[in-house]
Amino acid sequence: MADNEVERLTQAISLTQKLRTSVTRVFSDLSDGYHISQGNEKASLNVLQKALLTVNDNYSDLEKLVPNLNSVNITAPNSALVGIDPVYDKTPIYSQITHAHKWTNKVHKLADYASAILSPNQLKRTHQGGQPLAIKRQRKTPHAHAIPPQGVDQCISALERLWSDMPITLSRPMGNCAVLQITLSRTLRALIVLRGLLIESVIVKAYSEDFLTPEGKVDLWSRSRYQVFNKVTDMVTAATLHFCHPQMPDLSLRSFLVWFNSYKTLFSAPCQKCGKHLQGAFPPVWRELRTATPQHDGCRQT
Amino acid sequence: MMGVVCVYAYNIPEGKSGQQVVDSLQKQMDIIGATKTGNFCVDCETYQSHPQNAQQRSIHILHNSEQPATCFSVLDSGTVLVSDMLFDLIMNTMTQAKSGREGFFQQRKGFKIESRGQRYELADFVIKIGSVSLMANFKGVLIEVEYCPSQVPGDCWNLMKEILQSIVGNTADTPPSYIKTKMDSLYTPADTINQYLEHFNAFRKTATPGQQNR
Ligand SMILES: [Zn+2]
Repeated sequence: MADNEVERLTQAISLTQKLRTSVTRVFSDLSDGYHISQGNEKASLNVLQKALLTVNDNYSDLEKLVPNLNSVNITAPNSALVGIDPVYDKTPIYSQITHAHKWTNKVHKLADYASAILSPNQLKRTHQGGQPLAIKRQRKTPHAHAIPPQGVDQCISALERLWSDMPITLSRPMGNCAVLQITLSRTLRALIVLRGLLIESVIVKAYSEDFLTPEGKVDLWSRSRYQVFNKVTDMVTAATLHFCHPQMPDLSLRSFLVWFNSYKTLFSAPCQKCGKHLQGAFPPVWRELRTATPQHDGCRQT
Repeated sequence: MMGVVCVYAYNIPEGKSGQQVVDSLQKQMDIIGATKTGNFCVDCETYQSHPQNAQQRSIHILHNSEQPATCFSVLDSGTVLVSDMLFDLIMNTMTQAKSGREGFFQQRKGFKIESRGQRYELADFVIKIGSVSLMANFKGVLIEVEYCPSQVPGDCWNLMKEILQSIVGNTADTPPSYIKTKMDSLYTPADTINQYLEHFNAFRKTATPGQQNR
């Protein structure tokens, strides 16, 4: 089917070239002028008419072919645009990106296989995998990082209904990857970049801040103006590894969000270990992974 | 953008001067590890509508160096108008007599009051230690503590209480009276202005302590 497509495209290109030639001929003949001897006007007009008819034929040929062409997908990712750039020949960036992309996919895949093999064995400290469900699924090709956008949309809209104090909006400012923007109560805002259903990165900011660049686009990189939220960002990023479970990507995202929801008490809850609110001018920025109880960064290690 | 602010008057112990109190507070800021980040000033002038008007009204004009381009006008009812500095010019015009008629407002003499001092930062806290003076007479000390990341007083009051108590002692056992009514709303710069005005009005009523001592 793809071959067919390419064939039609090549045909369309050659037809366009033909049309161009015939049109060029008409105009060059006209601009060069004709040698018209007496009584020969008719013959000259015939030549012109013939040329115009060729144009007409070429044009209708092309017109017939066009409806069979699918429009080229314009919503190509930015990396594809790099490929179109003529400077590409001088910089190896595009091939490097493609290479890196292939490798991350491979790493994800192998990691998923590894986790599938490991999960029946109770070597893992953080997860109690190995349930029959996990075994049944382990033969499947890993897919957590390659779930199609519709699947992600469905999963997110199901998750969204779980919390009334945590609205989630989904957007795709850079192609396929979904970006979730979460407002947690009146405490904080978070931006989560997904790859399939795997969490790629999390940034936490204040309720009074936003995730927009000065040009009004989604800002995926800048950090909060406040130290406390940068600490929380680090903590949450570390925790995403704990919640990552490639065999059950929807469940792992869900349990991450359940845990993350406990940050709504960031300013109001005292530390469960020392009973105080402040430690070195910071509130309890850590939430215990299983119980989600608030703890100071300094208290959790003791 | 701003966080939640609590302003407290510091109880000056018997036999201590204002300067001594400010010095010891500044020393304490060094101990808790706060860094100096410049000076600050909150000032207030009060105008009264001309007696020829049926109802005598007051209007307080305040400026806060934290919002340097803003002018706050507060009515006795507590309503705050937040505007840019041009409002000062309008007020100026309204106090001037024009074509035989007296101005709409007149400045109350001896009412200019301000709190001025050092600004400190400690992680996401901003702490300000201000000496209050009424017409250049020392009246007392105001402590302002702001917790910038939060906007809901009810959320962060207990957290602020811990740092406030280490500075002003048990005065901070309860939130400032103005904040008590705002625990569940989003805090705005106008709320800070109202807190300062409450303190300024209280200071204006007290006798000047420095005058007897010095
Ligand atoms: Zn603690």
